[in-house]
Amino acid sequence: MKKKILTALALTGIFAFSACTKTEAPAPAAASNTRSESDFEDISAKGKMVIGITIYEPMNYYGENHVLTGFDTEFAGEVCQRLGVEPEFQVIDWDMKETELKSKNIDCIWNGLTVTEERRANMDFTTTYLVNKQCVVINSANASTYTDKASLASAMLSAESGSAGESAITGDDTLSSASYTASNSQQDALVALNAGNYDAIVIDYTMAKASVGSGDFASLQIVDGIELANEEYAIGFRVGSDTTAKVNSIISDMIKDGSLAELADKYDMKELYEQAVK
Amino acid sequence: METFLSVSGKLAQGFGTTLSLFFLTLLFAIPLGLLFACISRVRLKALRFLMRAFIYIIRGTPLLLQLMIVVYLPGIVFNNPLTKWPVFKGNVPLSYFCGALFAFVINYACYFAEIFRGGIENIPKGQYEACEVLGMSHSQTFFRVILLQVIRNIVAPMSNEVVTLVKDTALARTVSVVEIYFAASEILRLQFIIWPLFYTGAFYLGFSALLTLLFGMIEKRLSRYWR
Repeated sequence: MKKKILTALALTGIFAFSACTKTEAPAPAAASNTRSESDFEDISAKGKMVIGITIYEPMNYYGENHVLTGFDTEFAGEVCQRLGVEPEFQVIDWDMKETELKSKNIDCIWNGLTVTEERRANMDFTTTYLVNKQCVVINSANASTYTDKASLASAMLSAESGSAGESAITGDDTLSSASYTASNSQQDALVALNAGNYDAIVIDYTMAKASVGSGDFASLQIVDGIELANEEYAIGFRVGSDTTAKVNSIISDMIKDGSLAELADKYDMKELYEQAVK
Repeated sequence: METFLSVSGKLAQGFGTTLSLFFLTLLFAIPLGLLFACISRVRLKALRFLMRAFIYIIRGTPLLLQLMIVVYLPGIVFNNPLTKWPVFKGNVPLSYFCGALFAFVINYACYFAEIFRGGIENIPKGQYEACEVLGMSHSQTFFRVILLQVIRNIVAPMSNEVVTLVKDTALARTVSVVEIYFAASEILRLQFIIWPLFYTGAFYLGFSALLTLLFGMIEKRLSRYWR
């Protein structure tokens, strides 16, 4: 008897559930129909563009009075103003950025995003605005040992797993012969280098410049004169989004009127900007 | 492009590391836990206090923090980086694996010690008295009478900890141990495929199912003469 009641309960549960899904199903479909026509109309209807970021200097970070600032923060603020929408910065898990973009939780990824061929399957890129220069960081105590690529050939190296730094090492004729271990993040690589677990790490130049030589990383330094394969930064929008073209024309305006160069200068990245837009 | 088979292969390789971490942790943590349990019951008050304080510290701090301490502290505080220890012969992944293993063994030994202590203290005083009457020595009493009953008493809490350990091994990725979760997130980072991350769940679930069955069998077997 008990079993029968349970089965009946379970069945009603299933029916109730399927009834719910049936009635609810047409609603999101209808919504996505109106949405898919124009990504930009959707954004301007909301009146805001949700921008996926992670917190790191000098792109997006908390400055004085805990106000979000940084090159990309100001850049995005200016572009949004010219688009006539409000920027809304949303901190995301960097590993989940494609999912966040696809699920429309965010409208774009604007956080020192490197342009790669693989990423084109999941997003459209705007024109590039900065060079993601890679550099070698070492402990200052070893400054006389590690001066060029050849001296690093038998060293213990690390970079963030899947980063431009990693491909700079694996794609390099000399550095690829060194012992390489992937780190979880650039910060982890810095901490491990500081602990002496590695001899050298390859990270973003912007990141290195902001972190090396200050705080607990005072004993670290960038090795000058080592040329590595560089990548470029752009903004990522959903595939097929019409916002990309609109943002592109604003970027070219900002390049022409010099406001982007001014911004790059403010964050000490003029060289990286000039290399990207030359 | 990755296929289901190539992803399975990569994840299986990562799961191999997960399993070695799992089995090696059990192998070392169980005897060490028993030792810790015995020390925390000795008559010498100072030693007992030290042992319990150590167990308190380990149980009271996150395993994640302990992993960081093992991997970074030798270099930062003692200027003797883990990866450069002569025993590892320059093998960085091996040194990280051993560092992670050390943290796991200490952490789990402390949890096991408390389970063992509870199991030992649950044995009625009458059993010891009976052994004394029969003229058995202390070690005979412990190994031939008490320990066997302790084992039966602790099967359920131990199975709990062991299943937790399977999933805790995922923390090793924070110190660059390429276990299954790290392998999946590497596929995500390099090729932007998300499903392998969720697919790891199947490996954990499958292995936990095996363990649950195993512990069910042990429990059944050990309670044969009980009740």
